[in-house]
Amino acid sequence: MTEKEQEFSPNIVGFLCNWCTYAAADLAGSTKIEISPAFSVVRVMCSSRVDHNLVLSTFFDGADGILIAGCHPGDCHYGKGNYFTRRRYAQLKKVLETLGLEPERIQLAWISAAEGNRYAEVVNSFTEKIKELGPSPINNNQRL
Amino acid sequence: MSRDSVLIIGAGLAGMKAGLLLANAGKKVYLVEKLPLIGGMAIKDEESFPNFECSTCMVAPVQQDVLQNPHIETMTLSTVETVEGSVGEFKVNIKKGARYVSMTDCIGCGMCYEPCPVSINNEWEEDLGEMKAIYVPTAGSLPNVPTIDPQHCTRLNGSDECNACAEACMFGAIKLDDKDEELVIEVGAIVIATGSSTYDVSSLETLGYGSFPGVFSPLEFERLFASNGPTEGEMTIRDTESVPSKIAIVHCVGRKEVGYCSSVCCMYSLKFAHFLKHKIPDAVVTNIHSDICVHDKTYQKFYEGINGVDTEMRFCSSMADVCVSGNGSGLKVNYPDGKGKEQAVEVDMVILAAAIVPTEGTAALAGILGIELDGFGFIRSLSENIGSIETSREGIFVAGSAEGPKDIQTSVIQAEAAAGKVMALLSAMPEPVAAESETGE
Amino acid sequence: MKAKVGVYICECGPNISERVDIEKISEELLSSGEYDDVELVVKNYGLLCSGDGKTYLEEEITSNAFTHLVIAACSPRDHNTTFINVCKKTDLNPFLYKMVNIREHCAWIIPDKDKATEKAVQYIRGGIKRVLYQSELFEKQLDITPDVLILGGGIAGMEAALALAGEERTVFLVERSSELGGVSAGLNRLLPRQGGEVNKLSSYRGEVENNEHIKLYLDSEIKSVIGFLGNYEVTIGSGDEEEGVELVVGAVIVATGFKLPEINGLPGFDFSEKDEVHSSIEIERMMATDRKLAMRNGEEPKSVALVHCGGRSERGYCSQICCSYMMKIAGYIKDQSTEIEVVEYFRDLCLPYKEDQKFYDEIAARGVEFRRFGKLEVDGASVVSTGMDGAESKQEYDMVIVAPAMLPAEGTEALAGLLEIPLHETGFFEEEHQSTNAIGTTTDGIFIIGAAQGPRGISSSMLFAQASAGRISTQLIPGQKITPEVKVSEILEAYCTGCLTCLEVCSYGAIYFDDDRAISVVNEAVCRGCGNCFGSCPSGALRTKHFTNTQLMKEVAEAVRER
Repeated sequence: MTEKEQEFSPNIVGFLCNWCTYAAADLAGSTKIEISPAFSVVRVMCSSRVDHNLVLSTFFDGADGILIAGCHPGDCHYGKGNYFTRRRYAQLKKVLETLGLEPERIQLAWISAAEGNRYAEVVNSFTEKIKELGPSPINNNQRL
Repeated sequence: MSRDSVLIIGAGLAGMKAGLLLANAGKKVYLVEKLPLIGGMAIKDEESFPNFECSTCMVAPVQQDVLQNPHIETMTLSTVETVEGSVGEFKVNIKKGARYVSMTDCIGCGMCYEPCPVSINNEWEEDLGEMKAIYVPTAGSLPNVPTIDPQHCTRLNGSDECNACAEACMFGAIKLDDKDEELVIEVGAIVIATGSSTYDVSSLETLGYGSFPGVFSPLEFERLFASNGPTEGEMTIRDTESVPSKIAIVHCVGRKEVGYCSSVCCMYSLKFAHFLKHKIPDAVVTNIHSDICVHDKTYQKFYEGINGVDTEMRFCSSMADVCVSGNGSGLKVNYPDGKGKEQAVEVDMVILAAAIVPTEGTAALAGILGIELDGFGFIRSLSENIGSIETSREGIFVAGSAEGPKDIQTSVIQAEAAAGKVMALLSAMPEPVAAESETGE
Repeated sequence: MKAKVGVYICECGPNISERVDIEKISEELLSSGEYDDVELVVKNYGLLCSGDGKTYLEEEITSNAFTHLVIAACSPRDHNTTFINVCKKTDLNPFLYKMVNIREHCAWIIPDKDKATEKAVQYIRGGIKRVLYQSELFEKQLDITPDVLILGGGIAGMEAALALAGEERTVFLVERSSELGGVSAGLNRLLPRQGGEVNKLSSYRGEVENNEHIKLYLDSEIKSVIGFLGNYEVTIGSGDEEEGVELVVGAVIVATGFKLPEINGLPGFDFSEKDEVHSSIEIERMMATDRKLAMRNGEEPKSVALVHCGGRSERGYCSQICCSYMMKIAGYIKDQSTEIEVVEYFRDLCLPYKEDQKFYDEIAARGVEFRRFGKLEVDGASVVSTGMDGAESKQEYDMVIVAPAMLPAEGTEALAGLLEIPLHETGFFEEEHQSTNAIGTTTDGIFIIGAAQGPRGISSSMLFAQASAGRISTQLIPGQKITPEVKVSEILEAYCTGCLTCLEVCSYGAIYFDDDRAISVVNEAVCRGCGNCFGSCPSGALRTKHFTNTQLMKEVAEAVRER
């Protein structure tokens, strides 16, 4: 571990859909796979529930990275929700760039309820990526 | 009261769906499952056709609903022993097998597995993985309570005084003195949803199953692909643990022997081809097939999306003449092509798309229930009632592949139909006259 | 009134208690001074989900008169329902309780006990902050009518009607044509696995007509429909008549069937009126009425070609039943005369029913030749086919019988528009889920059965009909109410710009536009609470109950707090 990484402990928020990825997170937990404490789970019913406002507010509140994760395309519990999530994600990347935030600070992932291992991999590698990027340039006191 | 209760045998998707509908209508549902977990065959698939949908995501909410429904009494490790009486007042004897772990005290933390000194083959994982003598069949099993295998547990089989699991359990949930229980329930109607099995591919010697480690049955392949399976989704050949680069999928295995088309093998064989290409992009996949049976409105498109993309479809004029042999360290599949000319494909893995057959216990269950089987050994539905799910005995219905090979869609449709039949039957029944049945004989 | 929040940490035996420092969690929460405006009670218990645990919790809630409750334990997927049920036994509204997952998402995944403890504190703080912003929600019970409207009087519609009609449930059966029966009414025989005889089907019509609980509307169509499961208001009428009959029903079953295309016009079929090229249904009707297969000049053909898969490639799906009914037609011909040469041209034999293979073997044993083709064209009464060996052959027949692909019934698209349910790319109605909800649609209470859902035969159509009866009879029980989802979306009138984006994204048709107020409105009886409308609303007019941004941001605030 480099000195910089030791110093920097990022805050990462994951918005996980209730039906697939939250279940995967539970599976990772019950199989006791180590996951970085930098990552915090917020449960939503569907990934399509995550709007721009929630994402930007989360960044403005001081998050260094955001993971949005839901069911694989075609598997949405509500039919087509995750297709909308995908579009919003594409827009959000642009919005982040406009605001001067690295677009890599947000990531979208499809993780099914059976993919406990993959959940851990995605979360831990995203955490590593955010550690490399360093702290979010947003001043913690600057609110929307 | 028996007219307000229903027995469902088998907790796969069909049984669970029928149970949920009836429970939501206020019926008391007894859901009897012989395995320690519910979910049936669907949860063995990582992804189901035609949408490559995660099966766990599709089934887990149903499993949860079943376990949390106050009107459903789920009995795992249980079997139906005897059935007396008739429609509206069946008296059913159920044997509840000992689990040796308390369903109420265990919280599913899994602390008991590691200290167990015994490792055995995991049958649920098609013997591709190992488990301890105290186990859940697979990660994510529901109910999330382990079972002790009494044959292999050294304490229960009398070899020694091992107490490792009980010592590891902080909840006092291990009950080494647990016994099988007999209980009697009274129900108005019965739904059979015991599912099906796959043809024993080892009985076809020319196809090399059992002789060559590279030859796999369909369920073995499903578990190899599954990320919660014994290899965590690494598709490796047993023994050598090498990743295959050339794979042949042989359709219609056992079709001639069983005497019918199993209606789902083409679809799952195409699905396998897609799985292989998805995980091993350089793999060369060949499907050796005869008639392509893709009968839902969505299935042909599925086929077209895979044919030529994930696999080369090779027509075989006589599936009974397909032969798998050793070829150095690899395998060779010989088959007659459209002109009847012998062709060969050199591969390192062969998947045999086996026919769907009745489960081992179907005949015995039919005997207990006093119902007829068809010529293939499936539960017979009344052909004089077209599209029927009624068996030869009034008040007993069949849903899912216990009645014959079928996809998930038709299994669930039959389950819904069974719920309808039960509702109609029970609501039309007069209130039973007390003590009527006791005065008989 | 000052809020009084109970925080109960489940030890989960050693699972939580050994991996996080519960005492330290309590200390941090109580000593932080952050909750001065609320009264905070923090306690831990061995196993809250146990019988004793639930009783303990119930007593604690009541004796402390908590206004809010946080339970830090396992995953809400395991025990949220358990604790909601505990709340329901007390005066505490279950929506003022929040479960925090410190087992799967904390104790079990963070091996370092200090770090795990810190994480647990963070999650619980998030839970406390969030629960204070949660609102009471109340389940509503809605009255329903158990009556059912069925569109289409074919075999599927009739089977559903007979399965559902009864003392306490009236079925309104609407048929566009002037008689019941649909396509199956014209059949000569059924398949062996269906018992062969058509008598059973013929008797259906009488049963439906004589059933006092089935109200028939012939020559009629649906004009309008509005409502939701348990409460649909529909208007039915005939032709262009202004006036219609108004009905209130609990569910609508679409059983409008299919149609068969003209075979002249299918690609690869080139023949004139004079050529003896017929559609399979013409032959069925000919056999049913004349009991004899004959050419236009009245003579018996000496050779007949049966061509499968007419138009299949263009349609993009297999029609499921053609293989078996073409074998049935071959049987008619052989019954008439064993001398007639019969050749079945097939691409792939589709025999998905276990009994069909035997039928095939029997027909083949009667001298019917089965010839597999890769490519095929019909030119006049000649069949030009290419076999799997690549060889092309041309053979002339006295008669050619073609099995055309089944198509969606006339008017399917318009009906889909009227009912606001989607169509599949094949043109048939689209089910909510291919595998687990094949008769349901994205609108609760509207079902699609029989060949309206996709190509299928009589047995399968009747089974689908019985399935719809199963769904309706277990959902709409006479005299009982239904309880819709509570965690639904709502639209704040002041913020809605009436842009209609939410209507576009809703999969369930749960949002409608109120013309008078020029805003979108959520029908709470239909909404399933996914929140997709929320994610799409550009003006912040939407709110997802129990998952508001304010609530979620309280969790976020703790997650990103400087440590």
